[in-house]
Amino acid sequence: MPFDIFVQVLLNGILLGGIYALVAFGLSLVYGVAHILNIAHGTLLAISGVFASLVYMHTGWHPLLIIPMIVVPIFAFGYLFHAGLLRPLASRGKHDETIGTVLITTGALIMMSDITGFAAGTQQRNIPVRSEMLEIGDIILPWSQIWILGGIVILTIALHLYLKYAWFGRAVRAVTQDPLGATICGVNGARARALTFAAGSGLVAVAGVLYALVYPVDPYMGFSLTVRAFTIIVVGGIGNLAGAMIAGLLLGVAEAFTAFLWSPKWAPAISVILLLIILVVFPRGLASWQKT
Amino acid sequence: MSRAAPLAISVAAALLVASVPAFAGSYISAIVFAMMISFVMAQSWDWVNGQMGYLNLGHYAFYGIGAYAFAILLTRGVPLVPCFAAGIFFGALAALIVSFPLFRLKGDYFAFATLAVVPLCELLANNFDGLTRGSDGITLPPNYVLIPAFYMVLTLAILTLCVTLWLMRSRFGYALRAIRNDEQVAEVAGIRLFPFKAATLVLSASFAGLAGAIQAWQFSYIAPNTMFNLGVALVPIAGALLGGSGLLLGPLVGMVLFASIEQALLTKMTHLRDAVIGLVIVLIGRFLPGGILRAKWIANHPVLSWLSRESHFEVKGEGGPAGERLPLSPQPVNAEKVVLACEGATMAFGGNVAVNNVSLTIRQGEIVGLVGPNGSGKTTLFNLVSGIYRPKTGRILIDGKDISQFRADEISHLGIGRTYQIPRPFLELTVRENIAIGRTFGASKVSLEEAMRTAGVFAAYVGLGGLLDRKAELLSLQQKKALELARALAAEPKLLLVDEVASGLSTVEIATFVKHIRDIRDHYGITIIWVEHIFSALQQVVDRLIVLDSGAVIADAPLHEAMRNEKVLSTYLGHASAEAK
Repeated sequence: MPFDIFVQVLLNGILLGGIYALVAFGLSLVYGVAHILNIAHGTLLAISGVFASLVYMHTGWHPLLIIPMIVVPIFAFGYLFHAGLLRPLASRGKHDETIGTVLITTGALIMMSDITGFAAGTQQRNIPVRSEMLEIGDIILPWSQIWILGGIVILTIALHLYLKYAWFGRAVRAVTQDPLGATICGVNGARARALTFAAGSGLVAVAGVLYALVYPVDPYMGFSLTVRAFTIIVVGGIGNLAGAMIAGLLLGVAEAFTAFLWSPKWAPAISVILLLIILVVFPRGLASWQKT
Repeated sequence: MSRAAPLAISVAAALLVASVPAFAGSYISAIVFAMMISFVMAQSWDWVNGQMGYLNLGHYAFYGIGAYAFAILLTRGVPLVPCFAAGIFFGALAALIVSFPLFRLKGDYFAFATLAVVPLCELLANNFDGLTRGSDGITLPPNYVLIPAFYMVLTLAILTLCVTLWLMRSRFGYALRAIRNDEQVAEVAGIRLFPFKAATLVLSASFAGLAGAIQAWQFSYIAPNTMFNLGVALVPIAGALLGGSGLLLGPLVGMVLFASIEQALLTKMTHLRDAVIGLVIVLIGRFLPGGILRAKWIANHPVLSWLSRESHFEVKGEGGPAGERLPLSPQPVNAEKVVLACEGATMAFGGNVAVNNVSLTIRQGEIVGLVGPNGSGKTTLFNLVSGIYRPKTGRILIDGKDISQFRADEISHLGIGRTYQIPRPFLELTVRENIAIGRTFGASKVSLEEAMRTAGVFAAYVGLGGLLDRKAELLSLQQKKALELARALAAEPKLLLVDEVASGLSTVEIATFVKHIRDIRDHYGITIIWVEHIFSALQQVVDRLIVLDSGAVIADAPLHEAMRNEKVLSTYLGHASAEAK
């Protein structure tokens, strides 16, 4: 493979992987704090992307303006969804709680996809921004992709600093480690869980707008993204942002090279197969592997 | 209700369904056919969920694989019967392959990973287009087969119910229920986990594979997006949960209800059908944790209450009198024989060394007290011996055999029994069932029926004689501890590890318990290691004291010698105890 094509494919993979990592952050935070594996998580990206594309088509606004327009309602939706449907399950036994969570989030996935498909159409959409090209030798990159990559880096750093130093960030980490202990120390656990669920939803909405700037979106594509995000957090560790970022980038690059060298239709298989292989090779999960 | 009535009702219901094609039109027959397919899916799924406690969201993948195997072979001119056999075989094979990675997971991780299998299958069906004709799907030669397909799936549905009945009464089924209640305790009780789990998944997948094949035959067209559609995939699961997972008729009632809702709502709708199904699934998840059959008005209804009754083993006309001899064969005691030896056993969690280079020997017929401050490694040592942990370094020998790398169930079969500091009986099972599981899966290996029959003697021995048919979750803490002792004894152990049974007991109860410990050794030759903080209880019965501190043995001597040991006095007993003598 010529060097310039190699670099081009690598950069595409890094961009894709960065977006995957953003999706995984949300899933990982929500799982860590609220112990909810939100099966509809990727579908939130899909509907955010679809509606962002609709807004762009009708108004032509700058994507930076569209992001808050999408994120705020999705954040509010996430809060209400958790408070109304998921929080009441906490009083059940563990197995019943898992069943309830799975049914509610999967049912929500089916509803969101179908309603969005009904309202906005089932065809693929994107946000076709025009962008200058950056040319370095034979490598050509649109500036928009560089901005997106920069945005992902800034968002990751901001999230990391927030979780590490802000009061609420510390509260979230405390609830992740020991919910009862955190409650005794004055953290409102229920509120922390609902807000984290909302924040995770908001984060994936940002990822949705960024995704639609580069790739096509449709209402039914969400679940395959949830699967990728799940693989990423299994590899990178629950609640571990750096691990999720590295795992996300690796998955994105692996998919980009599979698509280029073999066939795009096999790229989506990588995450599931990777997941199953990891489970065989590291039976006690990668957390044990990280410690040793 | 007598035994004959349910049988008569079942036969009448089966005949009624069987007569549908004769007097109803093909439209109604097709609806009943689809309902029965859904029921087979829901019920076979519930063997894994309701009996074993694993939430498998990928059940539909086996259905799709069965349908594809059938269709691919049929279009290549293979006769019908081998095609159906292939549907079963490939469904089962897929389940066997995925059970290796999937059963390394538990809880919602397991649920999620199984859900990921469905889109993987869709992708494979789309991409291997030489075999599957990709997204175009496979069209079978047109052929009117509704009637034979109808009777085939009716037979399959009846068979599904029979398997469910068998699971609720058999030794195999009790292994699954033990796994569902507490997997680790089940393994320590002697149940080898993986074969049971994999066999159950394979069994459920072979039914799903055949259901898929029959559906493909009847419908004569299959495509990736209909066979592996996420919305469709969850319908049988939602149906089983709507009725009541784990109950004999839960999936049947639930699926009939769900299909009726679908018929009532969806035949008139052209848009948003999936959204309505999604909404029904959300509502079931939110409001019906145990299903409709567990609702109060059914559980308390004079006629309907039998629908919500859980299946528990009952034995008519028995009840071992208290004080009767336990059905254990006394073991000859050879005081020279070493039952358990630890050689430099070490266990660390991260940087925390919980058991540090412990060497000790226990001889047959001894009663050894194992004491030490909280956190000194007593329970961790028990966990090493019973196989919950494997030592980082050092060896553990039982009867001279190195068991450091054995699984907990293998160790249990060598005759090691134990109780837990915080009691862990199988909460959803009765006292009788708890004891019988210990007996039938432990070292004694008696049949399930025999174990259920003799459970009463063990229960009476520990003072639970009147509570045989009570669920363990309804017992008090002390009763749970007594139940654990009975369960461990029933397995006919050579070496019994007793972890803090006396704390919280009254003086009289302690005296009874001490008498039991002595009796178990004197009459049945069982060697005992007893971890206890109530020293006055230990003092009455132990021959030897082993004292742990910070994971290391600081004293190992006959009782009275150990009680005068300076190290033991300063770290554990305190000098006041010596002065009090």
